[in-house]
Order: sequence, then C-alpha cells, then structure tokens
Amino acid sequence: MLPPALEVLDLKKHFVTRKTLLGKPDRVVRAVDGVSFHVARGQTLGVVGESGCGKSTTARLLMHLIEPDAGRIRLHGREYGNVGGLKPVSELRQRMQMVFQDSYASLNPRLTIEDSIAFGPRIQGQSRSESRQLARDLLDQVGLNPDSFIRRYPHELSGGQRQRVNIARALAMKPEIMVLDEAVSALDKSVQAQVLNLLSDLKRDFELTYLFISHDLNVVQYISDHVVVMYLGQVVEFGPVAQIYEQPAHPYTRALLDAVPAQTPNSRKAHTVLEGDPPNPIDPPAGCRFHPRCPFAEPICAEREPVPVRVRPEQESACHMVAPQSGHSRHLTMIPLTSTLPEEAVA
Amino acid sequence: MTASNSQSAAADSVEAMSSVLRVADLSVTFKSEDGPVYAVSDVNFALNTGETLALLGESGCGKSVTLKSLMRLHPPHKTTLSGQIEITGDDVVAMSQRRLSALRGKRVAMIFQEPMLAFDPVFTIGQQITETVRRHTGCARARARARALEMLEMVRIPSAASRLDAYPHEMSGGMRQRAMIALALSCQPDLLLADEPTTALDATVQIQVLKLLRELQTELGMSMIIVTHDVGVAIEVADRVAVMYAGRIIEEGPVNEVLSTPQHPYTQGLLAATVHPGMDRAARLTAIPGAPPRLTRRLEACAFAPRCYKAGPECRQSIPRPSAVAPAEPGADSSQLRMVSCYRPGLKEDPRAHESNQ
Repeated sequence: MLPPALEVLDLKKHFVTRKTLLGKPDRVVRAVDGVSFHVARGQTLGVVGESGCGKSTTARLLMHLIEPDAGRIRLHGREYGNVGGLKPVSELRQRMQMVFQDSYASLNPRLTIEDSIAFGPRIQGQSRSESRQLARDLLDQVGLNPDSFIRRYPHELSGGQRQRVNIARALAMKPEIMVLDEAVSALDKSVQAQVLNLLSDLKRDFELTYLFISHDLNVVQYISDHVVVMYLGQVVEFGPVAQIYEQPAHPYTRALLDAVPAQTPNSRKAHTVLEGDPPNPIDPPAGCRFHPRCPFAEPICAEREPVPVRVRPEQESACHMVAPQSGHSRHLTMIPLTSTLPEEAVA
Repeated sequence: MTASNSQSAAADSVEAMSSVLRVADLSVTFKSEDGPVYAVSDVNFALNTGETLALLGESGCGKSVTLKSLMRLHPPHKTTLSGQIEITGDDVVAMSQRRLSALRGKRVAMIFQEPMLAFDPVFTIGQQITETVRRHTGCARARARARALEMLEMVRIPSAASRLDAYPHEMSGGMRQRAMIALALSCQPDLLLADEPTTALDATVQIQVLKLLRELQTELGMSMIIVTHDVGVAIEVADRVAVMYAGRIIEEGPVNEVLSTPQHPYTQGLLAATVHPGMDRAARLTAIPGAPPRLTRRLEACAFAPRCYKAGPECRQSIPRPSAVAPAEPGADSSQLRMVSCYRPGLKEDPRAHESNQ
C-alpha cells in the first residue's frame, strides 16, 4: 500500500508567553498539542474547529513557517525537518504550498501579478522567459485572462481575483499538496462558489492533495473526503466526511454541527446550545479539554485525558464515552445521535 | 419618484398596523476623491412593532450604509442623504443634532460586529451602561447601576455582579457581544439595529447570541433590523428579509417565502452559490458570473443585468420598479407583502442550465 501523501504524527508547539525571573517558562500556550492525521494522495482533508483550536498553527507548522517543538511530518513516507538526516525543509516547501485567507496581505504590493507568480520558479533557476510563460499559463488555468492581468498590481484586483492569483502562485511551484488556510472564507458567497469550483478543477487537473482549513462546516462537508475536528490544540475526532457529519461520536463535534445555522427556510433548528466560550489555550483544563463545556462530563473526564479510539472503520474519537472500560457511565451507543444533551436535560 | 408608489400605497392600506419605522426613497451618496459614490439608491421599506427584518447582501451592496443612515451616523460633510426616514412617526432626516442625540441609544440602539470598538477601553462595562441609562433617563447613579446589573443578567452573563466592574478587554468575544447587547437594550429601545452582530464570533457562540437576540426581541416586543451576509443568520432570526444588490433592495418579503421561492435572479444566484449542508459533493456549485458593479456612476439600468442569465433589452434600458409578487390577500397585513424589482421575475427553471465557472 502506498504511504499517505501527508502524514503528521504527534505534532506539538507550545508558545511561552511569560517567563519566571529565572527564565523558566511560566505561562505556556499549548497551541498544538499532539496532533496526528494523514491524507491519502488526491484526497481533501478538512480541518475544522473554532478560533484558538490550533488549526492555523498546525498549517504553519507543516510548512515550517513556525518550527515545531516535536512531531514528525512525512510526505509519501519520507520525513522532512530541519534536523540532520531528514529531507530538507526547502524541498518540503516546494512540494507543499499554502494559500492564506487574506488575499491582499499575501501578495507583494510592489510586484506585478506576473512577477509574483514567476518569483518562485525564478528562484528555483528557471529562465526569465520560461517563468513568464508559466505565469501566463497559470493565470489562464485559474480563469484570469493573462493579457489583461499580467501587468496589473494586487490593489487593482478584486478579492476573488487576488485569491486566484495566490492559487496560481502556489501552483507555480508544482506542489503535490496545497494547504488552504481559510482560503475562501473572506470571499462573498457568489465569488466563493467560483473559487471552490476552480479548486476542484485544479485538484483534478494537477492531481493535487488538499488540506482545507475552515470554520465553515458546510463548505468543509462539500469539499472534503476526510475531516479532522480540533479543540484546544488537539484532535478530538477524525474520519470520513459522511461519518463525521452523520454519525459524530464526540460531543464537541455534535455541538459544532448543531450550531450551524439553518441554510433553508423551515429548517430553523431547535439548537441545543453549548454553554460558554471556547476556553483559552493557556492552561487548558485537565483531563479531557472539553469537559467544562461537555453536557456528558463525569468525574473521570476531569481526571484522565481520553485517547483516540476507533469507533467505526476509519473513524477515531477521543472521548471516554467511546472507550470501553473508561470509567464513564455512558457509552456512545446509549446516546441517540440526534441528541447533544443528556436525556434528563432534554426532558 | 414613482418607484415608491406601489410600496407607499401598500403601506397606506395597512395604516392600522403600528409601524415603528418607515423608509421612503432613501438615497445615500458619499463624496470621495474619485467623485460621488452612490452607495444606496431609492430604498423603501417599513417595519412593524415586534418585527425583525434582515438586510441581506454581499459586501458593498449598501446594507450597512442603509442601517447607519437610520440613525444618521454618516459624517455629514461627506454624505448626501435624501428621502424620508420616520421612526415612530418622527422625521429623522430633519432632526436637529440635539434631538438626534436623544434618539440614539434611547429609542433606537445599535450593536456592531466588533464590540471591542464599540466599548471605551478605559471604562468598565458597568460604568458605560450606567452612563447611558443616566444620560437618557436622568435617574440616580445607584438606580442606573441596578439597571446595568439587571441588563447583564438579562443577557445571561454569568456572575453578572462581578462583571459590572470588568473592563471590555477582560471579557471573551462572546461575553463582550452580550455586554454590548445589554448596553444597547438598557434604555428599552423601540428599534434595535444590529450590524453583522455575530460575524466575528465562533460557531458555538454565534448560535448562542442569535438565540439570545431572538428571545430578547420577543420578550421585549421590540423591532429589529439585522444586517448580514449570511443566509443562515437571516433564517435564524428574521421574520422578513430584504435582499440588497448594488445599493437597492431587489427583493423583499417573509423570510421563508423569499428564501424558498426566490423571484429575483440575484436572490436565486446567491442561494445557489451558497454551500448547503448535505449537498451532492460531485455537483458543481452554481456561481454567479462576473462581479457587482462599481457604484461611482449612477446606474440607469438594472444593476444585475450584466450578470443575469435571463436579462433582456428592457433590463439594460431602465431600472425595474418594485412590484408585488402575488397580489396580497385582502386584509393581509404588511408583514405578508412580497416585492421584487425585476422585469423578468419568476422561479428559476433549471439552475444547472446556466451554470458558469467565471
């Protein structure tokens, strides 16, 4: 069996925000705390979670825009990193490219569209004429007419057009994997649809693998094959998109899905609302990090951190309720899927 | 302007309904370095007591500009405002600054997307609510403080008493948004204006705030206008929806009807472009080709015509007027009115037939 296009094992990043007088870490943000997942070649992995859950930090760690504290990153079975014996990060960044949310901030305002797209290939040693031709071809691929756009500057473009340029620039490196960090979130719906269609065309044409990070659960459901649900720096659930959306095992996944506003009239839901805000990743709660907000929490949840358990083929969930003999009085099968609250609370 | 005739005629027929707000032929033009920007043109709508209206549209469609005009919040030296705005019978357009100050925060209150900017960072939440209450009711400090506490409890801020002395930065985003709602409602406004109040919030917090707004609105019997780009938010809180495009309301009516049987090609396009839960993953999204027009020129034809799959010659010649979709039943109140501004309205036959990727 082929190794996955991208495999991440136990990725960690702790930011020290305050030190004691003696220089020891005093306050630590556990932004990413032991994240593992994998994506098969040609698939799209959606990453969902609320602000502060570490989804964007994970993306930056993958690209080594921030140096991870620990963990392994493998592309097609080969491990990359800044440590001797591993494949170099420079090669990783060519094979994996990233598109950011802010289409304007991610382009150099003083470079023309052509120069922005041709910049990477030029650095890699392509001739001027080759890289120019590449820029024209890619603009055409992303649906912008090269003749009218090649000489323009970023400020002359609309948000949707700029995001197309960012996608073209990423493609110029001939990557195998694209990390899309809220890449369509800032766009208006009618433009978002255009870019989502473009992304699925490009995925087919260039045989790409996507890591699609978004807070929009509807878009993630539409575009992804598998989904990772993150909460406070950890993966709480991972599995095929249909299973995660139809049979979520983790109470947080259920709450998150239930919070999505109705998209069609007459389906205004009786949302079972989760209390409180996502907590601060500084000093996260002990045990299961979700337990202070979890309607099913029991003493065990505050004591012991749950480990991911296979609940169905390919689907893993980190909750004491799915683990046999965890000490939790309930089991997943006891809770109807439609319910995000304990039975007594519903009544 | 003839455009308002059908609307005002309809409004007359329901004179009996207590209307909180009437907007007629509202146009807002801004001065900019590159000449005038026609941000809002000929906007008409009315709002009954206890009703919630959503102004729905994409960026630059004029929804926020319309909302801010209702309290005349635009800088006067840069703004030309014409038309009529009546709040509980009072003419806002002609109002003096002094009377405007008495209106703002008292009879009409507003909440914003970013509560951090709406609060003053150097005063506590309690001080700011207390000041507002005293300014408008002239009551004693202790009484105003009691009212502030009552408000924080009403928006369900946990341990409200201790939160009175908290500074805005000491609260989380969701908590600040609740505090801003408490501030806005502290003087029992007749009308609450909400400008993308949940856009900056996380999913699980957004639904808390939307539910809270819906409950408070029913409980206090106030009217509300909510500006949003999110169809889901409109469905969750609104009774009626007005869809805006290029500075105009292009379709309006009960939220269920407009969003389940949209008559205007833009409303149809917007809904088709929005990703729905459980959509067929193999299906392509139906995008609207092109982009909205710039508003630096006064438009003389339907603004949507260049992007519209069924535009005809008449669409490129003049601006379509709002007309009633189905003749309202005799005796139907204004909350049942349904209007569309289109020469060729009607249900979309086959959404896939006009698909385009551009």
